[in-house]
Amino acid sequence: MTGKRVLALLLVSLGLACTSPWAKPVWERPPPLPVDAKVVQDDRVHREELPNGVRVLVLEDRRLPAFSLGVVIARGAGVEAPEEAGVAAYTAELMERGAGARTALELAGVVDALGASLQVGAGWDSIAAQVAGLSEDRDALFDVLADVVLRPRFDRDEAERVRSESLAALRQAADDPTTLLNWSFAKTLYAGHRYGLPEEGTQETVARLGADAARAFHRRVFVPGAAIVYASGDVEPEPLLARIRATYGAWQGPRPPDVGAPPPVPERRRVVVVDRPDLGQAQIGVGHDGVARSDPRRLPVQLLNSALGGGGFSSRLMARIRAEEGLTYGIYSQFVQRHRAGPFGVFTFTRVPKVGEVVTGILEELERVRREPPSEQELARVRSQRAGQFALALETSAEVAAALVELDVYGLPRDTLDTYRRRVRAVTVEETSAVARELIDPARSSIVVVGPAETLRAQLEPFGAVEVVAP
Amino acid sequence: MRRGRAASMVLAALLLAAHAYAVPFEDPAARTRVTPFENGLTVLTLEDHTTPVVSLQIWARVGSGDEARFTGLAHLFEHMMFRGSANLGKEQHSRLIEERGGEVNAYTTRDETVYFTNVTPEHLPLVVALEAERLANLDVSEASLADERQVVIEERRFRTENSPDGRMFEALMALSFQAHPYRVPTIGWKSDLEKMSVAECRAFFAEYYAANNLVVSVAGDFQTEELLALLRRHLGGLRSAEQIERNPTEEPEQSGERRAVVYFEVAGPIVAMAWHAPATGHADADALDVASEVLSSGRTSRLYRALVYDRPVALGAAGGFWELARAGVFFAYAQVRPGASADEAEALLQREIERLRSEPVTAAELAKAKRALEVGLIVGQDSSSALASRIAHEWIAFGRVRSLEERLASIRAVTADDVQRVARSWLEPTGRSVVQLLPPPPAADGAKP
Repeated sequence: MTGKRVLALLLVSLGLACTSPWAKPVWERPPPLPVDAKVVQDDRVHREELPNGVRVLVLEDRRLPAFSLGVVIARGAGVEAPEEAGVAAYTAELMERGAGARTALELAGVVDALGASLQVGAGWDSIAAQVAGLSEDRDALFDVLADVVLRPRFDRDEAERVRSESLAALRQAADDPTTLLNWSFAKTLYAGHRYGLPEEGTQETVARLGADAARAFHRRVFVPGAAIVYASGDVEPEPLLARIRATYGAWQGPRPPDVGAPPPVPERRRVVVVDRPDLGQAQIGVGHDGVARSDPRRLPVQLLNSALGGGGFSSRLMARIRAEEGLTYGIYSQFVQRHRAGPFGVFTFTRVPKVGEVVTGILEELERVRREPPSEQELARVRSQRAGQFALALETSAEVAAALVELDVYGLPRDTLDTYRRRVRAVTVEETSAVARELIDPARSSIVVVGPAETLRAQLEPFGAVEVVAP
Repeated sequence: MRRGRAASMVLAALLLAAHAYAVPFEDPAARTRVTPFENGLTVLTLEDHTTPVVSLQIWARVGSGDEARFTGLAHLFEHMMFRGSANLGKEQHSRLIEERGGEVNAYTTRDETVYFTNVTPEHLPLVVALEAERLANLDVSEASLADERQVVIEERRFRTENSPDGRMFEALMALSFQAHPYRVPTIGWKSDLEKMSVAECRAFFAEYYAANNLVVSVAGDFQTEELLALLRRHLGGLRSAEQIERNPTEEPEQSGERRAVVYFEVAGPIVAMAWHAPATGHADADALDVASEVLSSGRTSRLYRALVYDRPVALGAAGGFWELARAGVFFAYAQVRPGASADEAEALLQREIERLRSEPVTAAELAKAKRALEVGLIVGQDSSSALASRIAHEWIAFGRVRSLEERLASIRAVTADDVQRVARSWLEPTGRSVVQLLPPPPAADGAKP
């Protein structure tokens, strides 16, 4: 037992012992020190790298007779050219619709009969194929996954069906004001770059997709050098590792494609209204460019963002716009960190007549975080918050496995999780102040609002020339 | 009825458990300990040291189904529980937990209001002290109510008024239930939210937040004896109530189909239908769950095949049994493709419901549906919050924590005849309510749409 752990336990027991009516309430006492334990014990993790570059990770947890197995490819929508936007999501969906000797319905029949799940999904930076079910079905599920990843069929009738569904889903998604805001916010910041288009593509780009495009994309991206095979749950590591070697060891392919061109830096503020005359509540996004996932300033950025708007009721934006002014149900800020620098933004919603007031409040808080960056006291609270959130987010084996896989996706050191809390505690006021000045700029922040243009125009004109666009 | 069924299920569990799974496993909830306090508070504890996380939840047996005058009171009051007390300022409760990396939130349903906190174990004494502080010393003032009322009205706009799904669901419940308080949306009608008074909130607190109307459920990394001592010290002195009022209204039998249309700016319509179904604890529950799975589970399910795959009418379609404390609902809905016909989607949904009534499900469908339910029960049992929720819900709904083995045996006992029988008895055309959410019709010249 380490000295710190003894101290923490002592503090816990003191906390238990001292709570009497005449003692100081527990919330006025300094919080106990967090316990700095290893995230996962070494004997539960089994890793190796196959000669063809496939990385393998198995995490044992025998508590329940369930398991999941997946292949993650460390490339996603970010590698698409703007004119083929959506091909990653399209390919992923089509991989669920027939593989090996089985058609779409036959494949679904095998999975459904086991009460299991099969999902293939694409994000900006990765594509994940996963099966999950009871551990007694692990052999059947292993075979399903291998077919889906290595031998997808891309049948023409299914390709046509998925294209038609995707186009309809895009039309329907545009009914949702939050989706409209996300799409328009990206387009405002990154016009011309892949990041400026929806992750799932547009009507125009998806209409061009078909079986051949999916097959070509699969060939380009599903390559051993980009692949991580992982399993977690009720598994015996050795037999599983042997099967993984036999199945994925012979996989050949070209080098993974580059992660995509960096996005342009938006130089000036734009004020955009997506006109939805029917809405009584407007969706608001305010922001500009941000940082990449591998940026060395990641931790100061995280802590700064928690203090500004990523930390729930403890953050400045929530305290002001919701708790003090009652203007919204929720507000948050976010640095979207991808292989390349994603956007920084503040997102919220409010009743239409209050939009100008809320935008003013957001811009003032952005200015204030530069002028009055988090003090030592504020930073101490945020450090403790992030360290605690970290432990909570790694409660289940599936969560731990996903976090370990993510390190491989971004090529980060293997001990990143174990050193996280220590590194968070080491972040200084100088570092967070520096990133506030370097990375946040209200003057360059674009303002995007979804709502009735007629009423919003006058409220938004003080911030710049208003561009009104159709949804 | 319940007792006889339970005995036969225990027998079935004994017979089936031995060969059910290749790998034997322990149901974590089997170790739940129930400790009644003298003031009527019930404490459920489930100690498990696998990961350094603990979830503490307070379940108040009050939801929107208990509201008599102002709708939305149970939910608005849930917000007020975070607005400060004698010794703490507004939202300070949340801040203290969040600053330690914890998660703290609450939700309200038609039957319950649930406050939950997930933390690393060293912060458990703080969590208990904060719960005790607001339960003993809550401060509901004019100023805090005025702010929070606006927050809730924004929440209502976000979840309901601006949301096609929210509007459809609100209309469906109000149509299916005409008398029962479940007809009212949990978030309340806007006019009631605007008029809610401090006196109303205080009376609600006095009535429903008494010790004997609360259940404390804790799962995860803690020492049971120490925690019980701590809870006793902080919550053992809470007052209890002699009588807790319940809304007496029951839903009269429906004697014909009901229909409604809601206009909303959407490209793709939504069609939804509902039938009255049994309340929690009814013997037909498992068969209705199996019927839900046959309709909705996976790409081989009947509704996916009929509305999404074979005929491209919908982007998604599902059905399900929603079990509530005092009445249940069975629903089916389709997210219609832009440009496709809502009437056709409705006819296809209806055809599949009729099929459940007119012929037994196939052996393969039955096996698949049961398997999906079984897997659903087993996976997801590895987080403290999931376990704390499960044992609290079981305790409130059934007065005991049903074991996984009992649940699995009960599901396995469902036959194809059972599924057809429950479909016939509950999914009658005369008990159906249908809502179509459609794009507004084009306005006539000069008329306002």
